[in-house]
Amino acid sequence: MNAKPRVTSIMSTHKRNLISTLLASLLGLVSLQSAAFDFKGALKDAVEKEIGQKTDSQTNPAEAASSTDSAKANSTTASQEAAFNWKNPSTTEEISLGREIAGNLLGAAPLVKDAALQKYVNSVGRWVASQSERPELPWRFGVIESEDLNAFAAPGGYIMLTKGLYRKLQNEAQLAGVLGHEIAHVVKKHQLKVLQKQQLLSMGAGLLSDKYAKDNALISKAIGSGAEISARSLDKSAEYEADRLGLSYATRAGYEPYGLAEVLQTLGQSSSNDASVALLFKTHPHPDERLTALSESVGSQLDKITGKTLENRFYLLK
Amino acid sequence: MKHYLKHALILSSLVPLLYAGMCVAAEKGSALKNDSLRSEPFVDAKVTGSFARGENLEIIKKQGAWLQVKSAKGSGWVRLLSVKRGAASAGNQAAGVLAVASGRAGTGQVVSTTGVRGLSEQELKAAKFNEEEVKTLESYTLSADKGRAFAKAGKLNSIAFKNLKEAKGGTE
Repeated sequence: MNAKPRVTSIMSTHKRNLISTLLASLLGLVSLQSAAFDFKGALKDAVEKEIGQKTDSQTNPAEAASSTDSAKANSTTASQEAAFNWKNPSTTEEISLGREIAGNLLGAAPLVKDAALQKYVNSVGRWVASQSERPELPWRFGVIESEDLNAFAAPGGYIMLTKGLYRKLQNEAQLAGVLGHEIAHVVKKHQLKVLQKQQLLSMGAGLLSDKYAKDNALISKAIGSGAEISARSLDKSAEYEADRLGLSYATRAGYEPYGLAEVLQTLGQSSSNDASVALLFKTHPHPDERLTALSESVGSQLDKITGKTLENRFYLLK
Repeated sequence: MKHYLKHALILSSLVPLLYAGMCVAAEKGSALKNDSLRSEPFVDAKVTGSFARGENLEIIKKQGAWLQVKSAKGSGWVRLLSVKRGAASAGNQAAGVLAVASGRAGTGQVVSTTGVRGLSEQELKAAKFNEEEVKTLESYTLSADKGRAFAKAGKLNSIAFKNLKEAKGGTE
C-alpha cells in the first residue's frame, strides 16, 4: 500500500494551534521591525517553537513504560485515520512515516538477497537497539544493494546500510558501532524533526493563503521525495551526537567500544573524490572531524572497558 | 682529528637520510590528544613514553583498537581514538584545522548537499516506493528476546555505561 494519499490529508488537525502560534510570532515581529517584515523567518520561528515544545513534553518515560515488546508496534503501519499529527506525531505515525521513506529507499536500492545476512544484521541491530532509550520500537535492519559506503535511518526504527559499507567491516563490534550511530538518529528523532519542520512550514504557508490552502499537493510533495530525507544533511551536531550515542549503545551491549571509531578511521582513508563516499562525505562532517570530536568526548572513560569484537561469527558476504 | 670530524659529519648527515627512507614505508598519523605510550596493547601495560596533541606520529602496526606508534619521545601502543591516521596535519589544536588540512572547504553549520554521484540524492528522490521490499525488510524484525538470545550465544554481556556527553569547550 502506498501511503502517499494518506499523508496528503494531514492539514486539518493542527491548523488552529499553528495559526495562533504563527500569529503570535508574526505580531511579535511586526512590532519589532515593521519596515522589513520577514515572513519566512516568522514561520520558521513558529515551527521551531512547536517542535521544541513537542520534544520537551514528549520524552521517553511514557513511551518506555507503555510497552515491553515490539509486537504491538509491529501491527501499526497499515490502518490509519486521515489525520497525521505533524506537530506531535505518535509513535505509530512516526513508524508509518519511516515505512514510507524506507520503501522509497528500497525502491532505489533493494535488499541484498541473502536471508542469512539480513538475519545476522537484525540480530546485532536488535541487541544494540535494546541498549538505547527506545527499546520498544519494532527495529528493522537491512543491507541494500549498493557499492556506495553509507548507512541510512528513517523514523520509527528503519535502518539500512549498503553492501559496500558492510564489505569494509571486519567484525561484529564495528557493525554494532555503525548500527548504533543510525539507531541514535532514530532515538533522537533527527530526521523526524527535519520533516516536521519542513511540513509545518509548508502547511503554515498554506494557512495564510487560500490558494495554497487548497493545494494538498504541496504537502505530499515533501513526503513524495521521502527516500532522500534519509540521506539529507542533518545539522553537524546531530551527527556528532549520533556518534557519541552509537558508541555508547554498542559499549553497553558488551562490544569493544572502538568499533565505530575503527570504521571512521577506514572511511577517513577514502579519498573525497571517490564516488562511493560522495554522498556520505556531502552529508556528514569529515571522518577526521568526527574522530576528533569523539575522542574529546571519550576522554578516559573507555580506559577500563574491554568488550568483544566477535570477528569469528561476523557474517561474511558471499 | 680532521678525519674523524669528516666521518662524523658524513655519518650524521646519512642517518637522517636513512631514517627518512625508512619513514616512507610507515604510515603517517597525528595525535588527536595528549596520551601515553604503552609497552603492550593493554590499558594497564607499562608506560613507555608520551606525545602531545597535534604531534606527528608514525604508525607501525594496528591491532584491534590499538595502534603501535613512534613519536618523538619513544614508541609504544595507544588507543585508536588518540591518533588520526593518514597525512599529518599542521599539528595544531582545533578540529577546524584538521578539517582544513584534510581539504574540506565546508565550514558552515550544515554540510552541503550538491553534486553527488552513486546512490545520489537525485536517485533517491526519483525512487519509487517498493512495498514488496519493505515487507521483506519487516519480516526480518526480531523481538528483544531474540536479540538477547543472540547476545548470549556470543557471550556478550551488557554493561553499565552512561551516554557520552559533548566535550565542553572543544579542548580538554
